[in-house]
Amino acid sequence: MGALRSSFFFSILFLVMVHPIVPVVYSEISETEVVSALTSAEEAAASAFVAVLEAERAGGNVSKLLVRLNDAAEGLSKAEISYRLGNYEAAISFSAISSGICTGVRSDAEELRLQALGPKHMQVWLRMIESVLGAAIVGIGGFWSWRLFKRRYFERILRMKPEVSFDES
Amino acid sequence: MNLEEYRIGFATGIMVLMLIAAVPSISLYVSFPSGERFSELWLLDKDRGTEDYPFDVHEDEPYSIFVGVGNHMGESSYYLIYIKLRNQTQPPPNVVASQPSLLTPVSEFRAFVPHNGTWEAPITFRILDADVDGDSAFLSRLSINEVASPVNASALWNPKYKGFYFQLFLELWRYNTMSQSFQYHGRFVGIWLNMTSS
Repeated sequence: MGALRSSFFFSILFLVMVHPIVPVVYSEISETEVVSALTSAEEAAASAFVAVLEAERAGGNVSKLLVRLNDAAEGLSKAEISYRLGNYEAAISFSAISSGICTGVRSDAEELRLQALGPKHMQVWLRMIESVLGAAIVGIGGFWSWRLFKRRYFERILRMKPEVSFDES
Repeated sequence: MNLEEYRIGFATGIMVLMLIAAVPSISLYVSFPSGERFSELWLLDKDRGTEDYPFDVHEDEPYSIFVGVGNHMGESSYYLIYIKLRNQTQPPPNVVASQPSLLTPVSEFRAFVPHNGTWEAPITFRILDADVDGDSAFLSRLSINEVASPVNASALWNPKYKGFYFQLFLELWRYNTMSQSFQYHGRFVGIWLNMTSS
């Protein structure tokens, strides 16, 4: 019982002594961690941008998404600068902020693309129908005009009276 | 004109009209030329003008300028702007060969700009550590928007223009979605700074 009590006492004492050291040990950030966080943030920004571009090409209004992406861009720039200056903690923090914004923008951009695709498909169909109808009207109209013209042409020919001309020389 | 010639004329006319009627559909698959695509990069003075750029600079004094980007690339663009510092002997970016400067950036900006849109940001720079030793000037640290960065640049005395000259310049890079990387976009702007009196 005594041994148990003393081991418990020493465990508590060890934890109390180690406590101020532990956060310091864990807060040390390696360069690899920072580079990895920066790479993820850069990839997140790039993929969010690609998603926004696709939404834009589908006909969506991406102006609000670009404003949010610019907030992420500011964070990413700060992260890159902090990394170059050796402030790893700030670099990780700014990278995380930037990545978070980009993830949200990406999912919103995908949603916007799907929303924009509906009207775009409708627009494509409308244009196709417009073209087919236009071409058909021109074709049928042209055919009937040609028939009318041909009939009048023959009527004109038939109305003509043959004349005999004499060569006086 | 005989009937055969009329027939050919009619057929040609109808074909042309049918093509015109099909233009809405054709335009979905054929892209027509939409003018020149380009990006703009500019620097303005503290009043957003072009008449009062900082030139004679002094240690520990703040100087303000504005950087701007205009996008006319036909769609939204993702830009990266590097701020660099060079002396008169270090080469500037090669715009013709589209080669950026090999110098390490002091700072950077990133911006997402919509088509036909612009983006602008203030830059406040401050020379933190500068020394003159004979005919050489050394610049150890430069602060951009209150973030100090080591630059370790030096400039020799220019006897013709009587001064120690550094150029603070900005390079424009654009994200290429095909190569999935930033590429130098062939644009740079800069201002010359005379550190003689610092």
